[in-house]
Amino acid sequence: MALIEVTGLVKSFKDGERETRVLKGIDLEVGRGEFVSIVGRSGAGKSTLMYQMSLLDEPTEGDVLVEGRSTREMATEEETLMRLTEFGYVFQDYALLPDLSALENVVLPLLMQGKSKGEAEAIAARALAKVELTHRLKNLPSQMSGGEQQRAAIARAIAHAPKLLFADEPTANLDRQSSGQVVTIFKELHAAGQTIIMVTHEEEYARAAGRIVTIDDGKVLSDVSLSEQ
Amino acid sequence: MFSLANIRVGWYLAVRQIRRASLYTTGLIVFVMLLTFLNLVVVTGLLVGIVVGIGNQFKSQETGDVVLSPLDTKDYIVETPEVLAFVQGLPGVEHIAARYLTGGTIEANYLTNTGPNTVANETGAQIEGIDPSAENAFSGLARYVKEGSYFSPGDYDAVILGPQLIDRYSFGKQPGLTPLENVYPGTKIRLTVGGATRDVVVKGILNVPANSPLAARVFMPAPEVRALMQRDDQNVTEIGIELAPGADAAAFRDLLLRSGVGADAKVETFADAIPSGVQEIQDTFGAIGNAVGSVGLVVAGITIFIVIFINAVTRRKFIGIAKGIGIAGGAIELSYVFQSLFYAAIGSSIGLLILYGFLVPYIDAHPIVLPISNAIIVAPVLGTLERVALLVGATVIAGYLPARIIVRKNTLDSILGRNT
Ligand SMILES: Nc1ncnc2c1ncn2[C@@H]1O[C@H](COP(=O)(O)OP(=O)(O)OP(=O)(O)O)[C@@H](O)[C@H]1O
Ligand SMILES: [Mg+2]
Repeated sequence: MALIEVTGLVKSFKDGERETRVLKGIDLEVGRGEFVSIVGRSGAGKSTLMYQMSLLDEPTEGDVLVEGRSTREMATEEETLMRLTEFGYVFQDYALLPDLSALENVVLPLLMQGKSKGEAEAIAARALAKVELTHRLKNLPSQMSGGEQQRAAIARAIAHAPKLLFADEPTANLDRQSSGQVVTIFKELHAAGQTIIMVTHEEEYARAAGRIVTIDDGKVLSDVSLSEQ
Repeated sequence: MFSLANIRVGWYLAVRQIRRASLYTTGLIVFVMLLTFLNLVVVTGLLVGIVVGIGNQFKSQETGDVVLSPLDTKDYIVETPEVLAFVQGLPGVEHIAARYLTGGTIEANYLTNTGPNTVANETGAQIEGIDPSAENAFSGLARYVKEGSYFSPGDYDAVILGPQLIDRYSFGKQPGLTPLENVYPGTKIRLTVGGATRDVVVKGILNVPANSPLAARVFMPAPEVRALMQRDDQNVTEIGIELAPGADAAAFRDLLLRSGVGADAKVETFADAIPSGVQEIQDTFGAIGNAVGSVGLVVAGITIFIVIFINAVTRRKFIGIAKGIGIAGGAIELSYVFQSLFYAAIGSSIGLLILYGFLVPYIDAHPIVLPISNAIIVAPVLGTLERVALLVGATVIAGYLPARIIVRKNTLDSILGRNT
């Protein structure tokens, strides 16, 4: 069974009378341990697809199945719980809470999962060590570089060992060196078994994944597994 | 909303937001809370304190804790010497003041006011015959002398006047009160009681509020007043009894009644004797204070609302992200409730400290001198705590509502900064 499966996914936006169909029927399966890049030109619908898959938005038609379970009729609380425990998110801009230090940003969702403060801090420190931020634990986001913030955000996304890591253009705001670091981290995570779905613009980073799905005009244009090439 | 995880995460967020908020902003909000608290407690306390101040004045200057006055059928206290002797022998009695009271008139400028068309500068007054040293021990009368001086032993033909009898201190001419002009210590005035007239010298003039029982009285040593009244008995008109601090006035009254003093005099505690209507005035002032306080409460509520609203709006994207990664909306709402609670708690705590640590004891010792009375602050602890609860409640609601408005917005819209 696929870890996550998208069937007949349609998303349209109403703007008064006019209705814009952004996703026009997408079917996609991602298995456990896969690293999938989603590419396509700007406005193709990559982000929109990611929001539907990661339960941040409600599709107009179709369904998202997580481990075979439909999420169509799922209650809001259950979706929130699934995002908390099963998913991890890395956004394009670093998205750390400005009043919390790097460590505290990682601790917060762990506390929400019911971990004790000590346990949460230990897990968070380990996650931050993985992204080489041990020297920045106490820094507020405003006291970190863009690359450091994005690495802290990755630590927050993976600390609870999610089944699925979503990343929407995680390197878009970073310089080459920091981007390279982020992609390297993703590769390492993948090597350790982490399932990753990453949207990206950059051909080079897309090739870090084992599979590249190209979206165009709200449909899947191609779906290529690199090892099979 | 009140799950354990929500409370923990809400607390975690709140503590860090407060810790990292600008000290200036925090200080300002706490200051608003403090002012609101003082407005709630002190305004009412002062208004009530004005009325209590009026009452206290009667107690300390006239009645004491228990007061004896003539029975309705008499105009003096029967067998005064026996009553006094009995009362003096009772435990717990600190001071006793026995007074002769009679109506009379005083006239000034009678040597110059001789023209055929001039009106005599005279006014009615209550003449009070006192034992100067006992009266001073009882009410501290000497303390109130502003011009001239208090009686000394052997004074004869000397009077001390309340300020309302003197033109320059009184409210002016009123029916039944035409204050004396050009009267200073040393001035001679003419005193008439019944058919007897005496020329006396003004020895002192008091400084007390207009509604003090001393304000319109003529004080004179008792033997001379007795002579003016043409009395040869020793029966006085009023006996004020001051008990040791903390003594139970009602129990003392009942003791006197049981001992038969009730056959010679009317026995009342200060509370019995206080004119009816005073309690109503006190309640009215209390209500006015509460009305003023509730306006302050609304202002404090709006302040908190705006502060939290602006805080939440500027963090809307991060609230969206927090919800996106699975932080419950209730936890975020709680974090703002905790922040509001913090402001209210700090503001109220500082307020309580100022109130009971400084204001109440200080004003008790140095009442605020107002034309109407020497006001104190009446702030019973229970009433104050009620107001703290009110302030905290209002603050929590004022913090919760804006947080809820922002937190309930669509998660993705918040993350992307979209407005729908
Ligand atoms: N809320 C919305 N209302 C109307 N149209 C929208 C909305 N959100 C997205 N769209 C439209 O949907 C299309 C796809 O947007 P999306 O953000 O998914 O593109 P993308 O592939 O992620 O592009 P980029 O590479 O620039 O990030 C765009 O044309 C966009 O204008
Ligand atoms: Mg996009």
